[in-house]
Amino acid sequence: MVPLPQSRSWRDIPQQVKPRALSAEGRRRFTVRGLRLLCGLVTIGAAVWGAWEVRAALERDSKSGEGAALPIGDHVVAVTNGVLDKAWLVRTLGLPRNATLMDIDPARLQALVLASGQVATAAIVRNFPRELAVHMAERSPVARVLVQKGTAAPQTYLVATDGVVFAGSCYDPEMVKTLPWLDGVKLSRQGAGFAPLAGMASVAELLAQAKLEAAPLYQTWRVVSLARLESDGEIEIRTEAGLRVTFGAHDNFFAQLARLDYLLDLAARRDPPVAVRSIDLALGAQVPVTAAAAPAAAAPGARTAPAAPPLAPAFSFHLSREL
Amino acid sequence: MSSNHTFIGAVDIGTAKVTVLVGEYTGRELAIIGRGECPSHGVIKGSIADYKAASDCAHSALEQAERDAGERIDCVFLAQSGAHLEGFYNEAAVNVKAADNMIDRNDIRMVCDLAKAKELPAGRMVVHHIRRPFRVDGRLVPGSPENLVGQRLEVGYWTVHGQEQRLADTIHVIRGCNLEVRELVLSSLASGHMVTTPEERQNGVLAIDIGAGTTDFVLYRDGVPHTTGVVPIGGTHLTNDLSIGLRLTVGQAEKLKLRFGRALVKARDKADKVWLDGNYAIGDRQFPRLAIEQITAARSWELLEVVRKKLGHSFSPETCASGVVLTGGTAKLPALAECAAKVFDLPVHLGEAPGWVAENLREPGYHTALGLLYYGISAHVEGATPRRRGGFLRNVTRLFASS
Repeated sequence: MVPLPQSRSWRDIPQQVKPRALSAEGRRRFTVRGLRLLCGLVTIGAAVWGAWEVRAALERDSKSGEGAALPIGDHVVAVTNGVLDKAWLVRTLGLPRNATLMDIDPARLQALVLASGQVATAAIVRNFPRELAVHMAERSPVARVLVQKGTAAPQTYLVATDGVVFAGSCYDPEMVKTLPWLDGVKLSRQGAGFAPLAGMASVAELLAQAKLEAAPLYQTWRVVSLARLESDGEIEIRTEAGLRVTFGAHDNFFAQLARLDYLLDLAARRDPPVAVRSIDLALGAQVPVTAAAAPAAAAPGARTAPAAPPLAPAFSFHLSREL
Repeated sequence: MSSNHTFIGAVDIGTAKVTVLVGEYTGRELAIIGRGECPSHGVIKGSIADYKAASDCAHSALEQAERDAGERIDCVFLAQSGAHLEGFYNEAAVNVKAADNMIDRNDIRMVCDLAKAKELPAGRMVVHHIRRPFRVDGRLVPGSPENLVGQRLEVGYWTVHGQEQRLADTIHVIRGCNLEVRELVLSSLASGHMVTTPEERQNGVLAIDIGAGTTDFVLYRDGVPHTTGVVPIGGTHLTNDLSIGLRLTVGQAEKLKLRFGRALVKARDKADKVWLDGNYAIGDRQFPRLAIEQITAARSWELLEVVRKKLGHSFSPETCASGVVLTGGTAKLPALAECAAKVFDLPVHLGEAPGWVAENLREPGYHTALGLLYYGISAHVEGATPRRRGGFLRNVTRLFASS
């Protein structure tokens, strides 16, 4: 095909202009346009730089993420206000050896930690790249209870102030021995453990008061019976000497402890000292006290004590004036 | 301001004054938001004679228009006039290729390319290719002939071309202000588009824009420009004739022309005289009114006769049913319409801008600039459609400009 003749159009006239041909207004426009272009380039440069930085940051994060793929191994930290240690935590969590922070399920691990009952609250914290920290708040045991499951040998469980019964780990056996036994309680199963005991708040308060205000007395307490707590509102304490002390669960424990101390002191100051079998502090100002029977005969050669009126098997004090 | 808005400057560098209008084009609507004017220097008969003087005037008008608009002009539509502009008609015909004789785009493109393929003499450049209606087997097709059935497709183009140096000079005046010339539009097309209605153009109308240095005309037929032309005679020639004939300075002659000039002689009394200034000061003289009218009428008649001769066979009263429309500053000369009616043997009226044009822009001197905006934006002439503004960088730059 024969090419058609092409005529030139006015659009073929070059519109480039030399700076010397620019008028003052043209130069001003040229400068302004140059500045705009510069601003535009700076903006684009800033945008590119920002995008580059974002990309670099994402890459850094990505690398951090790769660090999370490292096995946790021994990098488990137990942060607690109690006695639990790292070994217990590792044992409880049961993490696979190659588990990473990204593999774990924090909610599941938290449930495992709380399942023991000894831990009241737990928070699982992932410290990248590989450290797993567990922050725990433990329950404080105030008593112990002997539990026999089926035909198995009886096991000792601890009871916290909120009534939670738990096996108890990492406690000093000597400390556990100082805790009084609970009696007269009925344990019921709840899941893998036991349902919290009702009324433990009062018991815990009594024990705490005794431990704080009358430590010598508390040290002799061996059994705390809750048999009549629900029905009569009474807590019965049995000491290692066989003394039974009944506390009113709804009364002021401090006052009751003071009366107990006074009575025991009074009985000890009697000549001869009176062996008390039981003291009932749950009746308010009237405190029935049961004394033990007098010894059958004095030891040979001993000086005979002055004749004293024999104590009645049971008597009561009105302590309103004495106290 | 939205980045979709384009601020177009319509620049008419005339012999007497430079007019700039700023239009805000949103892609659908055009609003005139600024105006600038400056007495012209360095322009003779529509061509740049003194680059610096013309640049200073044009830039001053541009700056004034931008100040008035409160926006910066993005690009310029430039009016082009001058005696160097000429036109010729060329047509082509092709046989429809499809077996079912249905005209497709290839046929249209081919016939258009053939009709436009005319080599120009050295130093000449095309300003406009103005397409006339297609013909299919001799039948006039006002719109596109695509999908019409026929054996022979014909089309003709009126090609306007000008001298390269003159065109470049005008463009460089604008480029000196660091503005891009987006469109170059013939002055007659711009003003003719403004003062004629589509119905008039369809019926046939002759629009004559009589400026100070040139007279631009365009003859419309079948709704499209049929013939265009430029005559290097304008209002300044009337002034010069008065100046020579009455032995006056150009300024005095211009004053007399504006006050007492007529395109047809009305005065009958030779003793009827008029004062030059009318203030009875020293130097104030009297001139016969008849002499003034005879000089201006003779020159006006001659000017219109030249236009008629230039139109040649293209013009006939039968094909110009809507008559003649006069515009331009000199069109305000009294009795010019009557004079033109006698010359062309047609009804003549003075052109008016459409009703929606603001009152302060209805003067004939703004018709070219107004038409520049509307004609430049419309797609009546191939290649007159504004190019799409593009480029990410440009848009970013605009963002900063608007801020």
